[in-house]
Parts: sequence; C-alpha cells; structure tokens
Amino acid sequence: MATGLNRVAEIYADRAARVTELKAGGKRIIGYLDIFPVVEMLTALDLVPYRLLGDLNEPITRADAYLPTVVCPFLRSVMDLGLKGKYDFLDGVVFAHGCEVSEKMAHIWRTYLHPPYAHFIDTPHTTHQAARKQHRELLKDFQKTLEEMTGQELTAEKLREAVNIHNRQRVLVRELYDLRKPDPPLISGAETVRVMVAVASLPVTEGNELLEQVIGEIKGRKDGPAPKPARLIVWGSIIDNTALVDLVESLGANVVMDDTTVGSRDYFPLVEITDDPRDGLADRYLVALRSPRTFRETVPDGNRRKDYMADLESRFGYLKDYAREWQVNGVILQVLRYCDIHGYEVPALKDYLESIGLPGIYLEHDYSKVALAQLRTRVQAFLEIIG
Amino acid sequence: MTAYYLGIDIGSRTSKGVVTGDGRLLACHVLPSGVNYRAAAEKLREALLGKIGLSVSDIAATVATGQGAGNVPFPNEPVTDIRCCARGINGVFPAARTIIDVQAQSSQVIRLNGSGLVTGFVVSEKCAAGSGRFMEVIANVLQVELKDIGPLSLKSKNPVAFSTGCAVFGESEAVSRVAEGSAVEDILAGVHQALADKISALVDRVGMETDCALSGGGGLDTGLIRAVEAKLGVRMLVPPQPQIITALGAAIMAEETRGGH
Repeated sequence: MATGLNRVAEIYADRAARVTELKAGGKRIIGYLDIFPVVEMLTALDLVPYRLLGDLNEPITRADAYLPTVVCPFLRSVMDLGLKGKYDFLDGVVFAHGCEVSEKMAHIWRTYLHPPYAHFIDTPHTTHQAARKQHRELLKDFQKTLEEMTGQELTAEKLREAVNIHNRQRVLVRELYDLRKPDPPLISGAETVRVMVAVASLPVTEGNELLEQVIGEIKGRKDGPAPKPARLIVWGSIIDNTALVDLVESLGANVVMDDTTVGSRDYFPLVEITDDPRDGLADRYLVALRSPRTFRETVPDGNRRKDYMADLESRFGYLKDYAREWQVNGVILQVLRYCDIHGYEVPALKDYLESIGLPGIYLEHDYSKVALAQLRTRVQAFLEIIG
Repeated sequence: MTAYYLGIDIGSRTSKGVVTGDGRLLACHVLPSGVNYRAAAEKLREALLGKIGLSVSDIAATVATGQGAGNVPFPNEPVTDIRCCARGINGVFPAARTIIDVQAQSSQVIRLNGSGLVTGFVVSEKCAAGSGRFMEVIANVLQVELKDIGPLSLKSKNPVAFSTGCAVFGESEAVSRVAEGSAVEDILAGVHQALADKISALVDRVGMETDCALSGGGGLDTGLIRAVEAKLGVRMLVPPQPQIITALGAAIMAEETRGGH
C-alpha cells in the first residue's frame, strides 16, 4: 500500500475507496456534514465518521429540484452527490445546525434519501451559559440515538479514549501546519488541502498514521515549494479541493495558512478532558470552534455600547496571531456565493485587517473551476499591490 | 536615438495598441479582437508600426495586458489591466485618485496614488451588468448606432426606470419598453441610469477620492458619463481616447521596466 503523500493522492482521487473497503469488512460508516457533529461519539462506538464533501468537477443537475439555486453551491453539490447515489454506501448521517441552509438540507436529506440512521444536532448559535447547557443536553439525545442504533452503551471510558485519539489527530495537524511556517514553507497550500481532505475521509486512527507518515516525509524531502514574494492566509468558506489554492499558488504566492473548515478552523481547537467527557466535548464544539455562525457577545465600551474595535479584536484577534506566526503578508477573503455567514463577516473583517495593516482581497466564487479562472486577474493585481 | 515602447491591450471585445517614445504617445490603434487573440495582437503591432514607419526591431520593450494577454505571440512582459489602467490614467491625469474603468464585459473601480500605483480595486462580478456589452445589447434592440447612444440619451426628458443591470434581462426589458411606446432616448437614458447605479455600488465598495477619471470604451458614451456624474455628484475626467488608456499604461510600464525584450 502507498504511504505518505502518495497515499494522500490516492485517497484525494477516490475519497470513498478506503471506507468502502472497511464497510465490506463489516464496519459501519457514518457521514457527517460540516464541523459541528461531535465525531468522537461515533468513533467511541466503533462507527467510522466520514466527512460529507462536494465535488467541484461534478455539474449540479439533480439538487436543483430539492434546494433553491440561490443557496450555497457547496451544499447544493453535496445534496446533488447524495441524490446521485454517491453516498449510498453510508450507514447513516449526522447533521448539525451549521448554517440555515445546512439545517434545511438535513431534513431534506432525511426525507428524500431515507438513510438507515439520521440524526440532527440543533447546535445553538450563541455561547451563553444557557446555550452551553442546552448543547450538553443535545449531545445526550445524540448519544441515545447512537446507542439505539448500535445496541451498545457509550461509556465515559470509551468516549474519553475517542477524545484522546481525535485530540492526537488535532495535534498532528498542528505539527503539519508548523511545517508551513518556514520560508519557503515545507509543504504547499495545495498539498495541505489534499492531506486534509484525505484525513477527513479515513477513520481517525488511520488518519493519524497517515499524518505521521506525511510529516516525516515532508521533513525529509528536498523538493518542497520554492520561495515566493507573497505568503498568504486563506480565510472563509469551505475549501475541499485544490482549485482555488492552485490558482493562487500559480501566480507567485505561497498559501501558508488557512482559516477554513477542512483546515485549521476544525483541527486547531482541542477537547478538554472533563470528568464527564461530554462536557468538554459540548464546550469544544460550541465555544472553542471559531466559526462566524456562532454569535459571541459583543464587547461593550464604558457606556455599554458596542466597542467596535475591541469587538473586532475579540472576533478576529487569532488571525493576527496566525499572520505573525506564519509570517503572512496578505489575506484572501474567499466566500462561496450565497454563503451568508461568511458574507456578513467580510465588512468587519476588512476593517480589522485594515486596522492591523494587513492587506486583504475579497473574492466571491461559485464552486466551479470556470468561475475561479475569472478571479485570476484580481489575484494577480492583489499580489502586485502587496509585492 | 529614440527608444520605442509597445503597449498591447487584448480585450474581450476590442484590442488596443499604443507606441510611445521619449515619454510621448506616438501612435495608437484599435481593432476588434475577434476570436483569434494571437492574430489580433499580430495585426495590431503591424498596424502600429506601419503608422509611424518602424520595424519590430525598433521596439525596445513590450507590455501585454487584458484578457488575451497570454495569447500575445511575440516577446512581452504581462501585467494586469488594473495596474496598466492606473498607470495610463496617471500619465494623462496625475491628480486622479479614483478610476472608473468601463470595459466591454466588466467594469472596475481602481484607487491609485500620485505615482500611479494601485492602492485598491474592485471588479464587477462575472456578468456583463454595468459594462459596455449591456449598452451594445440595448443599442441593437433599439437599432441605434453605438456612437449615437450618448447624444440621443441626453435629449431624454423622462428616463424610463430600468429594474435590472443584467444584460440578458435588460434586453427583454428594453423590448417591453419599446412595445409600450417609450421613446428611444428615454430608454437609453434609463439604461444609463441603471449602469450608473451598478457603477456607484462598485465605487461604494472601494471608496472614492477625487479627482475621479473614467476610462475604457464606456468613456466614449457621453450619456453614461453624465449619468455617472449625476449619480456620484462629481465631475469625471475623461481622456480624449478613453479606450486606449490601459494600452497606454502598458507602454509606460514597458518604458519604465524595459523588461520585455
């Protein structure tokens, strides 16, 4: 069997290959959408979590009969793949209230695709005490349906073990991202996307082995990326293929960091080990995950009005840290067309970047290679400005 | 001995070329891009050199820009049209700090500093709304020559309200207005207002600082210029040949960098 980056290439080209093998051997595969379903609970019951992603190369034809065309094209792509039977191998699906469209899609999926098991976690949208408490209760409901499906009890011990394995994966991803800090980075942005997509397509233990292999290989190789004048961070909507990053990297930039969900946004926050492991999980998924879909209390000034700059700092301060640690000199704010949660964030994020003197460019695209090609001039012009 | 520089701008609709020498504009030429950008670039260079009696070897450096820049078959340095446009306007209007560049398929608003360097920009989305192609579609429906659009629209007393800036829906909307008996000049004036609305939305996104210049083929349309001025409340600086500005900027950059050959 191939190892390291060769294995990554194999899985990236055929995501479902490994899980369908596992399924033939008796494992049960559970699809999950976005970053809010608590996958540790699946792993703890020997279920294989498998991230639902779209396919940029597959024209959306069937989904338009079930979802409006004016919603996120990534979700329309996922729905389209489901309707075309590409996810028929799944033994169940878990959705959460990531955004409004994903919430609606969860119910549409359940209604029309009849998965053997389906669960929807109505993840709260604030981090208030009441919301945190509610999230804990929701995870208990989730646990109940999983126990019913598997006929097994989800003990605290099993869950703790699963948390440790998933935390190990997160630590490994950080190690991988550390290899992007030198100039030139030891791994390109496009390679990183492929690794992350592969990891999201494997059981967690196999993903960890793969990450260890990749990290070893990257450290030892001599043919990494060349130095380029621009070192960029890509912020925004989901990136589950290399098209956009390939485009940017072909124009004289290295993408050295991301704030996207098949990337640092999902993998950087760890789960705290708590007496009842569900408490640590509930807080990690609601509070520690920094997604614009979750409202965080605004920072008031002395007159109890919103202190805009302090608020921006509390929402986006981590990006300043990323920029410093990864020596970034530009930000690509990329938003999928109709991705409201990221779209709303753009004006404030632009203000923040301006306040810290970091140039950014806003790009809207619609999950197709043709549309991306049209962004070429804009990216070029941006690189000329910051170069 | 004078050194000569070539700026080539292969646009989606028309190709523009400029030759400069000693910092002066010596020749310019415009032709339709057609479907073969390589051939358009060759023809453009031939025509330009013919106009001033030069040969290929007299050109010290070439900068190519525009959508078809990658197809220019002779040695050149590629530079984005955003940067070239800024340099071109800076060469004509050094005080300009904002440029509204109305091209055939898209429009862009560019902010620049006193040295002609780009400090920010925004490009219209991929549809032809707010661009010259929209005017062509409407002119076709109304059977009006492109050059007559501007003067005709300025005669309008009662512009019709256009609900769209979309070139496709705009065509059917224009047909409906014709059917309702609206005057040609009122329809044209309405279209100009719709375009000015689209353009002002772009300006809002990147901010405006005066002086403000208008370039690209849209600058040939006096009706559009007046509508944009009315919408933004500022006077537009419009160069005498607005469509060659980006090619001029390309030639200026060729002269500065001398990197094309």
